[in-house]
Amino acid sequence: MASVKLTNVKKIYGKDTVAVNDFNLDIADKEFIVFVGPSGCGKSTTLRMIAGLEEISEGTVEIDGVVVNDLQPRDRDIAMVFQNYALYPHLSVFENMAFSLRLKKVPQDEVYARVTNAAEILGITEYLTRKPRALSGGQRQRVAIGRAMVRDSKVFLMDEPLSNLDAKLRNQMRAEIILLRKKIDTTFIYVTHDQTEAMTLGDRIVIMKDGFIQQVGTPTQVFDMPHNLFVAEFIGAPKMNTFKTRLVREGGKYYVTPYGAKIEVTGDKATKLAERYVDSREIVLGVRPEHITLADKNDPAAIGCTIQVNEMMGSELHLHVVVDGGDKLIVRIPTVSLTDEERARLVYGEKMYITFEGKVMHFFNPETEQNILA
Amino acid sequence: MKNNNSIENHGLSIKTVNTITNTFIYIFLIAMSIIWLVPFVGIVLESLRVETTGQVSYFVPQQFGFDNYIRLFESDFPKWFLNTLLMGVVVSVLQTGFILSMSYTLSRLRFKGRKTLMNLMLILGMFPGFLSMILIYKVFADLGLTEANAPIGLIIVYCASSGMGYYVSKGFFDTIPKSLDEAARIDGATRWQVFYKVIMPLSKPIIIYTILMGFMAPWGDYMLARFLINNNRDGMNVAVGMYKWLNGGGDSKFRNYTMFCAAGVCVSVPVTIVFMSLQKYYVEGVTGGAVKG
Amino acid sequence: MKKLNSLEYLKLSKSQALWYDVRMFFCAIPGWLKSLFVGLWKYIQNFGENVKDEVLDIINTFKKGNWAVKLSFLVFGLGNLYYGQVLRGILFLVFELVFIVYMALPSGGIYWINKVNWFITGQTVGREQGGLKYNPVTDTYGWVEGDDSVRVLLYGLLSVIFIVAFIATWRMQVKQCRINMDIKEKRRKINSAKDDLKSLLDEQFYKTLLTPSLLGILVFTVLPIIYMIIIAFTNYDAAHDGHANLFSWVGLTNFNEFTNFGSDGLSAALGEMVGWTLMWAFFATFTNYFAGMFVAIVINKKGIRFKKLWRTILVMTIAVPQFVSLLYVGRLFDRQGVIGSFLESANLIPESMIAQNDYSLWDNPLTAKILYIVINLWIGVPYVMLQATGILMNIPADLYESSRVDGANSFQQFTKITLPYMLFVTGPSLLTSFVGNLNNFNVIYLLNGGGPVNTKFGTMGGTQVGHSDLLITFLFKVTTGGESRYYLASVLGIFVFIVVALLSLVVYNVMPSTKNEEDYS
Repeated sequence: MASVKLTNVKKIYGKDTVAVNDFNLDIADKEFIVFVGPSGCGKSTTLRMIAGLEEISEGTVEIDGVVVNDLQPRDRDIAMVFQNYALYPHLSVFENMAFSLRLKKVPQDEVYARVTNAAEILGITEYLTRKPRALSGGQRQRVAIGRAMVRDSKVFLMDEPLSNLDAKLRNQMRAEIILLRKKIDTTFIYVTHDQTEAMTLGDRIVIMKDGFIQQVGTPTQVFDMPHNLFVAEFIGAPKMNTFKTRLVREGGKYYVTPYGAKIEVTGDKATKLAERYVDSREIVLGVRPEHITLADKNDPAAIGCTIQVNEMMGSELHLHVVVDGGDKLIVRIPTVSLTDEERARLVYGEKMYITFEGKVMHFFNPETEQNILA
Repeated sequence: MKNNNSIENHGLSIKTVNTITNTFIYIFLIAMSIIWLVPFVGIVLESLRVETTGQVSYFVPQQFGFDNYIRLFESDFPKWFLNTLLMGVVVSVLQTGFILSMSYTLSRLRFKGRKTLMNLMLILGMFPGFLSMILIYKVFADLGLTEANAPIGLIIVYCASSGMGYYVSKGFFDTIPKSLDEAARIDGATRWQVFYKVIMPLSKPIIIYTILMGFMAPWGDYMLARFLINNNRDGMNVAVGMYKWLNGGGDSKFRNYTMFCAAGVCVSVPVTIVFMSLQKYYVEGVTGGAVKG
Repeated sequence: MKKLNSLEYLKLSKSQALWYDVRMFFCAIPGWLKSLFVGLWKYIQNFGENVKDEVLDIINTFKKGNWAVKLSFLVFGLGNLYYGQVLRGILFLVFELVFIVYMALPSGGIYWINKVNWFITGQTVGREQGGLKYNPVTDTYGWVEGDDSVRVLLYGLLSVIFIVAFIATWRMQVKQCRINMDIKEKRRKINSAKDDLKSLLDEQFYKTLLTPSLLGILVFTVLPIIYMIIIAFTNYDAAHDGHANLFSWVGLTNFNEFTNFGSDGLSAALGEMVGWTLMWAFFATFTNYFAGMFVAIVINKKGIRFKKLWRTILVMTIAVPQFVSLLYVGRLFDRQGVIGSFLESANLIPESMIAQNDYSLWDNPLTAKILYIVINLWIGVPYVMLQATGILMNIPADLYESSRVDGANSFQQFTKITLPYMLFVTGPSLLTSFVGNLNNFNVIYLLNGGGPVNTKFGTMGGTQVGHSDLLITFLFKVTTGGESRYYLASVLGIFVFIVVALLSLVVYNVMPSTKNEEDYS
């Protein structure tokens, strides 16, 4: 159980290919941190630098206050779960889990106790004598986690552990990791490209792109106040609608004017805009699909659009619409709020009117792509 | 049948076409097998020929007997056989060590100059290996490792540079996922422990392949062996010794032809048994090598 | 020539596209050459940069270093000793002492290097001819041992290598001083001898694994090759060997012989030999390749039974030591051999051959060459068959299924799916086997010694030239022949190297596998 601190960490491949740039992060003891971002963003590289599998080009990594830059992986007291599980094919499940203990020459009865204990928690006791080859994907995943658990180490690293599983199993394992975390209570660093995993698992999320940290925050923070356009579009599914428009200040009130409509900014956002004396300006407006509602044709805040695709998801309806300006938006409507008649109307080619909820809009600077209110 | 005809109006159904092609294929395969087997049958028949030791124009001996084999064991052949066997056994062990360490290092460890080293070995491999024998012969002659002691000299020659033949086993190591090494290192293994606790147990097929290749090499080498042995009957391997029997006499009528065949059988039987029993690994090595280059 | 974009290329008909490809191939050649030279130039530049960096580093180390570091520029290992690395320091120091003592000994390094007379045309390698000599002091004739050129050159070369190693070691220990200084500056721990030894099983494990192999390669491949390249500039042969007959430096004379064009000179013989070597390698490789692939496909065909039996019969040829099967099969075709005599008695030998007294297939240059290639099929097909079988099984079955749905027959399936796939996958090994065939000593020499003898050239380099001699078999004959013309062997060896290197370069540039690595993955 330990804190991890990364200071100005940089990874340079060859002469000038920068994979990770100026990475600063304080991870508290027993925190569950998730690194998330598209492939090639440097999240795995960062994890591997913490593990000691990649050399750190610049900066320092500290575990429990000790600089570990020059330490071998085995001297860092970490455990790691790999994407492809990396189980030793020639060893039984028991020996796979016991491997690290054997290297440390732990006595047999303790090895037995620790392995069986971990196996029990993960529900793989009956497979202990099998070889990994005879296990299913989910079972292998458990063995890989078990092998890391047995180590009882300060930091628990996981590199996209669920991405080789099918969708159903992935959801199940995700839930199990949440439970597991309560039981093993140590510092977790978890890498994924899947924002759902990041949102559901992390105490804090680190969103990365092109080697740079974009934002660090709790799931609520990054969802409610994305610092920039990238984070806004990356977090949340279906992704946030963004388009250029104008923010207008009129008599102490703020309006956005997308596609000829005029929608008032309300609530918290309006207060913040006023506090910062933001003047009328061009912006990129961000509206999440669930914050778009149906509107009356005559409402000045109504935007006309045509339905292109309708996806019935069961509890909600996803509509891909083309607004009169030509942009494409996604609208997400809970099915309970619709009458049968409305549902019948919301199909391909039909015209409809929508508006945005004034209190949950996001405003970005078109040049810097930064959130104006962050 | 009817269904097929209704779709293809060529008259012949798929099944008939298939039967005809298969018949041709069987004829081809049988002919091929005969061509491939005849020399082996021939060599065995020849070795049992009693009426003459020279080469004759008919296939089946007029008189069968084991005379050639008896004479074989009165000649130097047993010595040559043991020489070669000794070389095969020692070379297979040493060479495997060299090749595995080289290929493992190049495949799974990263260090400065790795690429340069591989390029250098590629270029070195383009020189005919025989060229270096001239100097080696001179030095070995001074050290007393030629002629009667040639088997020792040859073992050194076969093994010393064998690291350059790392390609096939490197191809094998390349296919083992890297994360296995990484997992082991995080579990607390040094690179040495990764090598012998994780990778070696997984490499049985390639180890056996390398051993097999090392064992077979001395049985077939004529060029290097001939040079170091220099006509000394005590130091010969089977290839050099038996070549003498065939070409020594000048006129082919006086060749020790039947004895050569008997010796050929004696050499081939054990080697073939070893090879055939480990065939599976050989095939894996060959196909793996093809894919990986 | 104008390069077409992909849409324009797709507009071309099949023959136009082929013509375009061919032209593009030749247009690309200057490009490769250019990139080769640019690459070389970059390499040299890079090398220059590295040297500059090294020199700067050495100067900096000297400037920044304390007395121990400064002194270690003369006394090896002081820098290590000062920083507490006793074992390393002592090893460096011992190395330096050994070097100095060896060089300075009366019959040590300097002595040998001096005796070699490096590359001075007309001078002998070694100074003193052995034999009976008059001794003016004792006024008697006495036996003088004299020098042995082979040894003089070897010891001279070794001494030069020792000097190079000395300089490299000097650089290494200076660098270690600098590293130690850096570590001290950052207040980290300097590795002790125990750490060093431990790291040989971990961070530096590659050193442990590589050292024996590299040492073997250095002593038994690199050193002999350098030595033999040097021999190409001497007249070393059986007449210039031993204490009584020193060999001498002849400059480029040996190479000049090759440019001496004439219809019966060495260059003409060599020209024929290179031509046949290339032809042999080409036919041997490709006949085996296609025949082997054909056999593999036939055996693999659905519905053919006893697959394992057919394969095992073929594999027998690999199992039986090659020299047994080659020598035996070769003799079958002799005039006295079973097949040879059958051909003669059945009047299957063409009149034109008999007119030249060629009674067996081995006697006629053309039929002999064909026979080598045909028998090589017998040797090589099983090997290719095994390779191809493995790869055929890897071709995804749905490729065949979808092509059948698209209306391809089995021949089209072969040309459109199997062959491209095989060529792609086996490209690199095809090159390897081509090079292997260029140097295929066993098949040529054991089957019929490279014969028949080419009477046009008579004896050459102390041996007879055969019509079917490859460069490598000729090299062997030159070396083992009565006159043992080692210098000629050495020049031939360099020649083989050049041929192989050029070919590899071209093939490497054409091969699809090196260009579009992902196509079939």
